[in-house]
Amino acid sequence: MSDWDSYRLQDFVPFSAEVYFRLQERMGEAFWPLHLAMLAAGAAALFLALRGRRRLACLLLAPAWAFVGVAYFLQRYGNLNWAGDYLGWAFIGEGGLLAVLAAIPGGAATRVPRATLPVIVGTTLATAGLLAWPLIALLFGYAWLHAETFGIHPTPTAVTTLGLLLIASRGAALWLAALIPLLWIALSGLTLTVLGAGWAPAVFVVLALGLGALVWKSAVTGQR
Amino acid sequence: MKRRPDRREFLKLAATGLALAGVPAGLLRAAAASPVRKAIPTSGEMLPVIGLGTWRTFNVGSDPQLLAERTEVVRAFFQHGGGLVDCSPMYGSAADTMGYALRKLGTPDSLFSADKVWGPAGGSAREQVARQAQRWGIETFDLMQVHNLSNWRDYLDVLRELKAAGKIRYIGITTSHGRRHREFEQVMASEDIDFAQLTYNITHREAEERLLPLARERGIAVIANRPYDGGALIKGLKRREQVPQWAVEECGSSTWADFLLKFIISHPAVSCAIPATTRVDHLNENMRAGRKPLPSPRCRQRMIEFIESL
Repeated sequence: MSDWDSYRLQDFVPFSAEVYFRLQERMGEAFWPLHLAMLAAGAAALFLALRGRRRLACLLLAPAWAFVGVAYFLQRYGNLNWAGDYLGWAFIGEGGLLAVLAAIPGGAATRVPRATLPVIVGTTLATAGLLAWPLIALLFGYAWLHAETFGIHPTPTAVTTLGLLLIASRGAALWLAALIPLLWIALSGLTLTVLGAGWAPAVFVVLALGLGALVWKSAVTGQR
Repeated sequence: MKRRPDRREFLKLAATGLALAGVPAGLLRAAAASPVRKAIPTSGEMLPVIGLGTWRTFNVGSDPQLLAERTEVVRAFFQHGGGLVDCSPMYGSAADTMGYALRKLGTPDSLFSADKVWGPAGGSAREQVARQAQRWGIETFDLMQVHNLSNWRDYLDVLRELKAAGKIRYIGITTSHGRRHREFEQVMASEDIDFAQLTYNITHREAEERLLPLARERGIAVIANRPYDGGALIKGLKRREQVPQWAVEECGSSTWADFLLKFIISHPAVSCAIPATTRVDHLNENMRAGRKPLPSPRCRQRMIEFIESL
């Protein structure tokens, strides 16, 4: 549509910072203590990926994406942003893709990963998504119910998944499965920038690290 | 030489006279504080010069706490005699929030409901108008605009049919941030529309060159959006500066809201400015700016020079 070139980044964030952070809090209010189960599932997925049980790791990620797609985007974010429903279906699709990668023997790597640069970056990102992300809200003075958690909120889910994919996947499957997490992390960073959140730059650092490790892994794999 | 009484003295004299005649003082205060109104050129209908925008501020989803807070903003708006409320399908749940507020407060006679049709919202123009009316909880819209010139040829045709059928009273087009002014001007010059909504504030005065003179020539009412440049303008002024004394004395502007809004609504082509807010105290400030006196042309020039000097 030719009209799109006349829009600005701000036009795609039709809510205030107050409403956005209240949404994070409402997810906390609505689903606590599901956070603990999701964190346990994410930690188990990381452990399994590092032990070479990579298909099982992908299987643990899939329901987290489907849940965020429905509970966060379709049921809540969609009320605030006309693009929310599309994002919800993209998250559900990512959940389906991860389930397919878990089901197909060739879809995910099966050997115990060596400590290569992408695996180190992947482990760092997955750990940040699981443990550091919930602390951001607290560091910036929000109540603990604002804490963004893997499997409940989209950004830590995407960051953790990107990390696990760097450990557990490769080739076309890696790029295919990493596309939506990368796009969401970019969108999340842009949204936080428009809203003036102090930690927006950290999201772009995560994006750059993840993208750099993906390119590195593809280049190294391609040389073999 | 005999001095003529000024406005304040005149009101005192009138109050004394009316009090003696048995007219309640509250009624007199209400008359003195009533908002300035300007005529819509195509009908002569009078519209209060300060409206209410809903971009971002009214998009609160189903959060009961925020819905209640926005309802209080709407209540204060109508208590001040406010009229035009502007919304769009692009604004997320803003139309639902207005519907919630109107269900709680009732629909006042002064409401002048303005909404838009917008391509990416999906569905035909007729479906969008019906859907937005349902969300507001009203039967008909006073004004329906084509948002940001989205698919404007087709949409204006449909809006004209709806106007002819009595489903909407006025039609218009919108732009913001100075986008697509050349095409906007062409539509204003060639199409029969009642309203044009555009960005006009003391730091973004591009519309003064062609669009505002054209609106006067063609008899099109103008709605000024982004009066505070998205909030940054008034926040920066409140943080750094005091309103200069000459603005208080000569332009009737004792707050920055007065200063910025009175500048906009005192342009002869502008019918209404639509500041958006989430706070009742800010709404009160905005609505007070819609009362007399308005700055003279000389005062407007001084306001521009002052802002440019900062």
